[in-house]
Formats: sequence, C-alpha cells, structure tokens
Amino acid sequence: MAQRRDDRYTFDGLPLNPVEPGTSLLVTGPVLSGAREMGLRLLCSSDADGGTVLIATDSDATTMLEDFERHGGVLDRDRVRVIDCAQESGDLPEDSVSTVNTPADLTGIGIEYSGQYESTYASGYTRVRTGIITLTPLLVYSDDVRAVYRFLNTITGRVGTADGLGVCVLDPNAHEEQVVESVARFFDGRVDVRADQGALDLRVAGLRDQPTNWTPVGAGT
Amino acid sequence: MSDSPTVLCAQPDADERAETADALGDAGLAVEGVGSLDTLTTALDRSVDCVVTAFDLPDGDGFDVVDAVRSVNPACVVILYTEHAPSDLPRGGPEQVVEYVPRTVPESRERLADVAAMAAAEVTQAAYPIPETETERLAAVQRYDIDQLAATDAFDRLTALMASHFDIDVAFVGLMDEHEERFVACEGANWRTLSREDTICTHTILSDETMVVEDTHEDPRFAAVDALKQLNIRSYAGVRITDEEGNAVGAVCCTDGEPRRYTQTELDDLQRFADEVEEQLLLRRRLQGGS
Repeated sequence: MAQRRDDRYTFDGLPLNPVEPGTSLLVTGPVLSGAREMGLRLLCSSDADGGTVLIATDSDATTMLEDFERHGGVLDRDRVRVIDCAQESGDLPEDSVSTVNTPADLTGIGIEYSGQYESTYASGYTRVRTGIITLTPLLVYSDDVRAVYRFLNTITGRVGTADGLGVCVLDPNAHEEQVVESVARFFDGRVDVRADQGALDLRVAGLRDQPTNWTPVGAGT
Repeated sequence: MSDSPTVLCAQPDADERAETADALGDAGLAVEGVGSLDTLTTALDRSVDCVVTAFDLPDGDGFDVVDAVRSVNPACVVILYTEHAPSDLPRGGPEQVVEYVPRTVPESRERLADVAAMAAAEVTQAAYPIPETETERLAAVQRYDIDQLAATDAFDRLTALMASHFDIDVAFVGLMDEHEERFVACEGANWRTLSREDTICTHTILSDETMVVEDTHEDPRFAAVDALKQLNIRSYAGVRITDEEGNAVGAVCCTDGEPRRYTQTELDDLQRFADEVEEQLLLRRRLQGGS
C-alpha cells in the first residue's frame, strides 16, 4: 500500500488534485454514462488505513462490489462495506453488508451506515471514504425532501468531523433544478461529469486548485 | 455558565450513565445525565447541543427521545448509544435520522465521546441546508434587538406599502436566527415566528438572487410543508437582507394564497424595498448602540 505524503485524499488516475480531509463531493452527470463510474473511482483508496463504506441504492451489494472492483477498488470485507437498500438482495450473510428494505427508510440507512462506519474504524481503517450511489432513489422515495436534507446533514457531518471523504452521485436530469441546487449546498464541491463519444470529461466547482473547465479524465494531472 | 458544548445523556442504569458521563466529560463536554424519557423531556431546551441516548428507557425508546428532542430543538444532534445491532432496532420514521454508536465496538464509550464531541461542536441534523458562514451569520443576527425592531413603525409602513404595491396577501421582514425566523414586521397576518425548517426564507438567505416560488404545491422543496399550507402561502418572492459585512441576516418577502408570477419590474421593486430595509436595519442597530 502507498505511503501518504500528507493527510489529503488523492485520486489515482483522475485529473484531480488531492482534497482536504472532511471534504464531501457531489458528483453530477448521467448516471449510466459516467457519473456512477466517477463516483466509484473517487471512492477507491490506496492508503494502508483507507476504508470505504458504500450506500448502494441503485443496485444490490453484489453488483455494487463488482462495479467497485472493476473501477479499481480492492475488495477486502474489513475495509469495504456496503449498505444495500436497492430492494433486490438475496441472502447476504457477510457482516460487511447490511440491508435496509427500502430507500425510503432514511433512518435505517443512517443507522446501518454509522454501524458499518464504526466497524470499519474499529478494524483500523480510519480514513473512510463514504459513497452514496446514487441519491436519486432516496429523493424519489421521500415524501418530504426535508428528510433527505436531514440525512445529508448527518452523513456529511460525520464525514466532516471524522476527516473522511464523502462522494454522492446524482443525475441532475432526474430531478427538478431547484432540488439539485438545494442538494448541492450540502457539499463542499461539485464534480460534473459528461461522456463525449465514450470518453469521460470532468470539471469541478467549489474547490480550489481543481480543474474548472472540462478536462479529459484520462489526462491525469 | 460553561462554554463547553452541552450534552444530555439518557441511560436508565445509574452506574452506566455515570461512566458514560465521565467519558463525555473527559472529551470536554458539559454533561447532564437523565434516567428516563420523562426526565430528559424536562431537561431539554434549545441550549442543548447533543443528546446521547440508550435505546431502551423505562418509559419509551430511542425514537421517542428523537421525537422529544426534535419538538424542542429540531436541528439538535441525537446519538443512539446501544448494544442493539441496527437490524434489531424497529424501523424509525424518515424524520428520525440519527447518529448511532454501537456499544459492541471496542472502547465504545471513548468512541462515543469522540463522535459526541465532534457532533456537538460542528454538526447539525437540521432538515435544511446551512449557509457556509452560519456561525458568523448567527453572530450578526444576534447584534439586532428583534423585539425593539418589531416595535418600530418604519418596518410596518414598508410592509404595508409592499402589500399594497404588489397586491398580495402578506408582506414581511424576517430575521433568521438559529432555530426560527422571527418577524420584525408582517402586514396582512399576525406571524411572530416560524420554525426554520418550515420557512422558504431559509433557502432565500443562501443566495443573493431573488427567490421566487410561483406555486408551492408544484415545488418539490415545499409541497410537503404543512406549515405553508396552514399559513396559506401558495406563492412567494423574497430577497435576502445582509449586514454591512455581507452576512445574510434575513429576508424581505411577499406571499399570497394563490399561485403568482412576478414581472422583472416587480422583482426590481422588491429589491428596492429590501435595500431600504437593509439601510433601516443598519441605522437602527447603530442607534441601539450595536455599532
């Protein structure tokens, strides 16, 4: 595993500079054409003490872990944990996977997330990257968007105070513009993603020392 | 009075409660211990920064605690500290999102103290977005004597003029404190305060752009807010007001019981009313001696 030069979170293979501990990022773009992939790539950690907790809402835990591995994640059940709320799960006997019956159960998701976070932390993986892949089902299943606001304050609060990294994927075309703008306010920065003839571009808003113009993902920094 | 963040700790067993309180105290928190939902409810007020609770109490459970806390202090952080695994807990309502620290992890009290100390100092469980500079913003709001401002005729005259000019039901000037919007003047209704999570203005203060909601029933941010229905707010236009340092202290707003659009000329006029309110607020704060 790589030795860190400082405490900032790095992103191997992406044209992004390191970000400060406690940062939460909103990744926006077409989910099936880049945003989901980008979210998973941001969650890959090469740190010896790095862990990942994934809140999977758009696919079951098995699919999510396969996708995570395909995009560079290392599957180790002590350091990679999943809260599966996609309503598609079969038997999931592993301690590293929790299930919540519906994306509407924000309280259950939050408690399971904290539980998995604590387990990751107790295993010695104290630099935890948290992913919400994706936020859309949570918004769609909530009768009142304020419940999602409270959930986001709680998750980003834990990320911020525990010096973690938060990544939340959202397809802006799936929601009213006002809702997307409101959601963006819970995050320190926004990574926009687009696919151009199969190649991904990204740009960043809200964070210093990051590419603000569309930048090919393969270019590196 | 202590400057330390205040934590209420609810655990039924006195010995366990004392041990938890010691761990929280060692983390620099001012702790008050309670043994039941009833005593917790009595001890609750808006000065509490964080509530740590067992799930099983003699007269209720952890979600009853969440409800009690949210009714008094909607943004307060609540942490469930329990030996129950998440899957063993009953399902809570979507408004009962909480933090959770399992007692089964090693050195759980120390871990709880870490989470509580961080939460009490920096985190909110509010059901609305918080401005980036909230601490400075709240300090700016506290420099205004809202009761004295509410007794000032100038704001009543301005809001009366607004209601007439825009032909709307209600015009108001509100300042947004930590928990609620407090109305300095309100023409067309007798509103004094409104819980922050129920206001549209909590969104208005986030941006220097005029906030227009043509139909609250069609806006997913507000369609489920019962308080807006009860106050007959179907449409809204608001401009944030700032102090001389740029802190968003409140908003100047129009509401109506019917869906409504605003022309650019009307929005320009609303901005002028807001500019006037800003000047009046600044002058009156200086007259109050708040500099």
